[in-house]
Amino acid sequence: MNDHKFEQCIKCTICTAYCPVVAVNPLYPGPKQAGPDGERFRIKNKFFFDENLKYCMNCKRCEVACPSGVNIADIIHSARMRYGHQKPNLRDMILASTDLMGVMARPVAPVVNAVAGSKAGKWAMDTFLGVDQHRTFPKYQFKGFVGWFKREMEASQASYPRQIAFFHGCSTEYQHPEVGKAFVQVMNALGFGVQLLDEECCGVAMISNAMWKQAKQHARHNVAAFEKAVDAGLPVVTTASTCTFTMRDEYPHILGVDNAKVRSSIVLVEKFIHDLVDKGKVKLVFRKDYKARMAYHIPCHMEKLGWSIFTKNLLQMIPGADLTVLGSGCCGIAGTYGFKKENYAYSQAIGQPVFDEIARVNPEFVVSECDTCKWQIEMSTGYAVKNPILILSEALDLEATAKANCVNG
Amino acid sequence: MTNKNEFDVIIVGGGITGAGTARDCAMRGLKVLLIERHDIATGATGRNHGLLHSGARYAVTDRESATECIEENKILRKIARHCVDDTSGFFITLPEDDLAYQAKFVESCLAAGIQADIIDPKEAIRLEPSVNPTLIGAVRVPDGSVDPFRLCAANMLDAKLHGAKVLVYTEVESFIMEGDTVLGVRTVDQRTGEKAEYRAAVTVNAAGIWGHHIASLAGVNIGMFPAKGALLIFAHRVNSIVINRCRKPANADILVPGDTVCVIGTTSTRVPYEECDHMHVTPEEVDLLLTEGAKLAPVLENTRILRAYAGVRPLVSADNDPSGRNISRGIVCLDHEVRDGVKGFVSITGGKLMTYRLMAEQAADAVCKKLHVNQVCKTAVTPLPGSATGSVEEVSRKLWSVPVTVQKAAAGRSGDWAEKIAMDHPMDRSLVCECEEVSVGEAEMAIRDLDVHNLTDLRRRTRVGMGTCQAELCACRAAGLLAKAHGCADRARADLKDFMNERWKGMYPVAWGETLREGEFTQWIYKAVLGL
Amino acid sequence: MKYDVVLIGGGLSSLVCGISLQRTGKRCLMVSGGQNALHFSSGAFGLLGFRPDGSAVERPLEELDKLPANHPYRKVGAAKMHEYVNRVKPFFASCGVMLDGDPERNSWRLTPTGTVRPSWLAMSDVTLYEDSVVSIGRKALIANIAGYLDFNTAFLAEGLEKAGVTCRLEAVALPEFERLRTSASEMRSVNIARVMDHDQVWKKFVEQVCVLLRDEDVVVLPEVFGLQDEHVLEQIRECIPARVVFVGTMAPSVPGIRCQSALKTAFEQAGGEFLMGDEVISSEMDGERVLSVRTANLGDTVLEADHFVLATGGFFGRGLQATAEAVSEPVFGLDVDAPEERTQWYNPDFFAPQPYTRFGVHTSENLRAMKAGKEMENVYVIGSELGGADALCEGSGAGIAVMTGFKAAEMING
Repeated sequence: MNDHKFEQCIKCTICTAYCPVVAVNPLYPGPKQAGPDGERFRIKNKFFFDENLKYCMNCKRCEVACPSGVNIADIIHSARMRYGHQKPNLRDMILASTDLMGVMARPVAPVVNAVAGSKAGKWAMDTFLGVDQHRTFPKYQFKGFVGWFKREMEASQASYPRQIAFFHGCSTEYQHPEVGKAFVQVMNALGFGVQLLDEECCGVAMISNAMWKQAKQHARHNVAAFEKAVDAGLPVVTTASTCTFTMRDEYPHILGVDNAKVRSSIVLVEKFIHDLVDKGKVKLVFRKDYKARMAYHIPCHMEKLGWSIFTKNLLQMIPGADLTVLGSGCCGIAGTYGFKKENYAYSQAIGQPVFDEIARVNPEFVVSECDTCKWQIEMSTGYAVKNPILILSEALDLEATAKANCVNG
Repeated sequence: MTNKNEFDVIIVGGGITGAGTARDCAMRGLKVLLIERHDIATGATGRNHGLLHSGARYAVTDRESATECIEENKILRKIARHCVDDTSGFFITLPEDDLAYQAKFVESCLAAGIQADIIDPKEAIRLEPSVNPTLIGAVRVPDGSVDPFRLCAANMLDAKLHGAKVLVYTEVESFIMEGDTVLGVRTVDQRTGEKAEYRAAVTVNAAGIWGHHIASLAGVNIGMFPAKGALLIFAHRVNSIVINRCRKPANADILVPGDTVCVIGTTSTRVPYEECDHMHVTPEEVDLLLTEGAKLAPVLENTRILRAYAGVRPLVSADNDPSGRNISRGIVCLDHEVRDGVKGFVSITGGKLMTYRLMAEQAADAVCKKLHVNQVCKTAVTPLPGSATGSVEEVSRKLWSVPVTVQKAAAGRSGDWAEKIAMDHPMDRSLVCECEEVSVGEAEMAIRDLDVHNLTDLRRRTRVGMGTCQAELCACRAAGLLAKAHGCADRARADLKDFMNERWKGMYPVAWGETLREGEFTQWIYKAVLGL
Repeated sequence: MKYDVVLIGGGLSSLVCGISLQRTGKRCLMVSGGQNALHFSSGAFGLLGFRPDGSAVERPLEELDKLPANHPYRKVGAAKMHEYVNRVKPFFASCGVMLDGDPERNSWRLTPTGTVRPSWLAMSDVTLYEDSVVSIGRKALIANIAGYLDFNTAFLAEGLEKAGVTCRLEAVALPEFERLRTSASEMRSVNIARVMDHDQVWKKFVEQVCVLLRDEDVVVLPEVFGLQDEHVLEQIRECIPARVVFVGTMAPSVPGIRCQSALKTAFEQAGGEFLMGDEVISSEMDGERVLSVRTANLGDTVLEADHFVLATGGFFGRGLQATAEAVSEPVFGLDVDAPEERTQWYNPDFFAPQPYTRFGVHTSENLRAMKAGKEMENVYVIGSELGGADALCEGSGAGIAVMTGFKAAEMING
């Protein structure tokens, strides 16, 4: 109970000023009431639990702002787990089962994409499932990342002097295999062989949708897989900020799954490369002809991780990159939150300041480590959103980089 | 009796005993006046553990008190449901204690009619994870917790609903006496200085430790033994079951979960009578409470302390026991006509919060006997206002289809009296006190129905300012409501200062860690921003 | 990672110091464990408002030599104090924060409880008066937003009436606030300000105020305007045909957040790096030199720097920590000026000066921290982390933050 430090709250109300949900949804009691204030009542009697805690997007902005070190959102989601009566409905289960859906959708990807993208399909999902019809679904890819890797890359990986384990996550596999491909190319150029893990979806969407049992199963499975990798001397490198954050912090804090042995080894690729460059262990050689004007949207969970500094520093190393860092703000999607009909309007209202700023900056594209931010921003602004590793793969002279790092490709 | 200043009985003292006596007399049809020099529940009533004793604590040493406790325990669970929390209680034996005491303890409990079940220490840890894991024995008894402020307010409210008149902030200066007969009291209004006289055939002294002084005004001496007890409040409930030490009663051996907090206590030291109005908790007392408390529940060492406070037990001297631990907690009802030859004057003292109703019954019996009124006591079977319906769940669901937290909190505090709280308009539901979820509607109900004259009174009725922030956020809001209700901002401003000082008084003995941070933050808000 | 300066703490003093350093070419990193005390600002800054006897100070600079020797202003030095006070307004203006007031002479502001308090410089929300016998006006209309509890109009009116101003209280209800009002807890200053930030809303509010206005020459409003853009305040003043006075609310403070946000932006625009919601958890030292620190979030990424500035505040900011036994400084374990006996930490009267507010890190004459009795070579302490001043009773919190922030920057620049 004291793990979340709710007693350190001195009721300064700062969190309420940084909560994106409070700003748009009066049904949400706000981080202070839902978190440390409500906790004292819930400890007294679970009857005091308020189902409106479900409106918390788990963006963690309250925690970043809190001057007292209170893990406000952890308190809220632990309370949902401990006291909540919310049972996920069919829609929630579909949205939350990102990996299962991917497996099912992939063989018929063109059909699924066509249906999900059609007016009739959107209407049907809205009416029968409660998935808002204004929402654009990310497209499922016919061919996934893992298949490509095994077919084309796996054999050569052992030849690299250093090795890492790659947690690719659901969206890289099902929607954006290009991110995974870019990751492998860059890592190879830096002299790292890539090994895949026996991974399952990180479970973040299950946490949001009160599928606690499944989320814990996934967490335990992944932690076991990571322990194996770490025991073999491999760091676990990732490309998705939310998966990373979930596996490092939500596993122990909310799900109660102990990851102490592996936590510090789970790193986002931007931090991983940055630290290598910083310590002079790898060199980056950039293409002379690369030029791009980009705007960096820092995803909420990057703010919480505190790692946007690595992405910024890396992007600033690209000579041809004209980088604008956007103001701190939530895009409003929060994973599956914004897909739900009841949240759609709130979701878009939350993101509006971000969309407005992007339009003002008018970059060639937006940078973000988070794929759901990508979907939301692309749908709401029309600007393309790229993962930083993709930008790095485009901006690096991969051959020259390999040579500089003494890699004999 | 047409004169508005004439009554059947005058009760001096607005603690739980006075309130209970007023209720009992009023229910028996008497014309009652209750006079209190401060607010209700300001003495020992509001300065104890809030423990709903099973009586087990006294089973070995004081059989009579133990039996009274268990009987009243059962009654309060029925008549004061909204004030009672059925937590149950443990008596634990630690390695340093003598396990042989346990057998004697259980035997004594059973003899007093108190259920006492020995349970496996592992089972005790499962049921109450905060309990000291090194325990070697545990006995389960029907302890609980009771909110003394709420209990006192409900008794006072019911007395008024039965026609009693209540005067708070009114001090008795002297008795109107004719020879050796008490005819009434001369009073002064503490706020206005206005003097008045009230007459009654019988006057009851229910002034707790201050009853010593009241009795002396009638020329009677009651040998009171003022025993100070210090306690600490922690910021949340670390335990859900009362934890006691299974040994002879000693310092800091009870941890009670009450409302949103828990309380460790007490110490017991004799203090000079003159100091009863100015109790301060010393650093030594704080350290002792912490050290001993951590033996009951080790997590207390790292739990935020909200405040420290001390009360004075109104014990009646029996011997030269320096701590007062060995003085009976038994009820002392004195008919001064029999004892001292002073007519029309009864003192009710000794006893404890748990047995207030029985004390009131004995006092009311004595009054009725003097007045030759033949009415039986009904307080043991008549629920108090707010306690007609059952649990907070039942009350909330009866009153509102989908209760929100602020409604649940109101139902938790007021029971079914919560239906008198305005909840319809969003403004009514707005929170004044965020830590304790007290709404504008609830505060306004208290101001209207429960004799609230200042912020401290409001706190005793609603828990405004009793939460984690100790009034940092709510005091100013509540002061605004009082200024509106009383139409006087000047008074509200002075009141706000008093209130902040009253809060700080409980904080400074434990001013380190988050408590000191809270103190510093509150200073900024009230000094720098508000300019007070 | 290597920086020229790592600043620990992200409040007023750290931002002032960091912006100054970054603008003079130093690469700075700021680590802040969450948001800071600017969120409770009244919108007015104090340099030195009161003497120890409680009397008001008119010219703060003339009082400097009467301050105790370990007061932060004594460490900044009289000459530098004179220089810095005149630097403050242009400095803040360059960050987009316009300050009113005479830098060398105190003015007065109206508090939310209807009293007046000496103030030095103030954000544009605050109306400054030249005299303590304030000629606020003849008649005042105090207009609140219906259902807003954190603007105590009764106190305000009572205070003003005592000063001879006749008051009328009104509450304006706008449909735009109905939604916010359905929340039991979130009718707060900042949430109101977010709604007010829409042009059509504040204009509608102002229209309503104008309708309510009779013959009053003063209109008093809560500080819930211009969260994003302080120019709104000026526009409101132009729209209402009476003198408009904004008065502070309970936390969070709208002008404070605006100021914090502007300074943070200025720091980042100058090239500074800001780590929000992170904290220093360990450090590496070599003798009296700090070589590097590590933070909770960055993990094994070490932050090296030539200089370290400690601006983590007092107890609220967790720059000082108290247990039942002792007061300590948690980041570097520096020497703290505080008595051992905890009964010496407080005064039983809440409104009396509290000894603990004077506690702080022990520093040398030039703001360098002391550790185990030795002067650290490259650790500077600024703001309320410094001991020797009761900022609350003196009305000197912001002044100490800004003056010591400037001083440390100058020391580092050499």
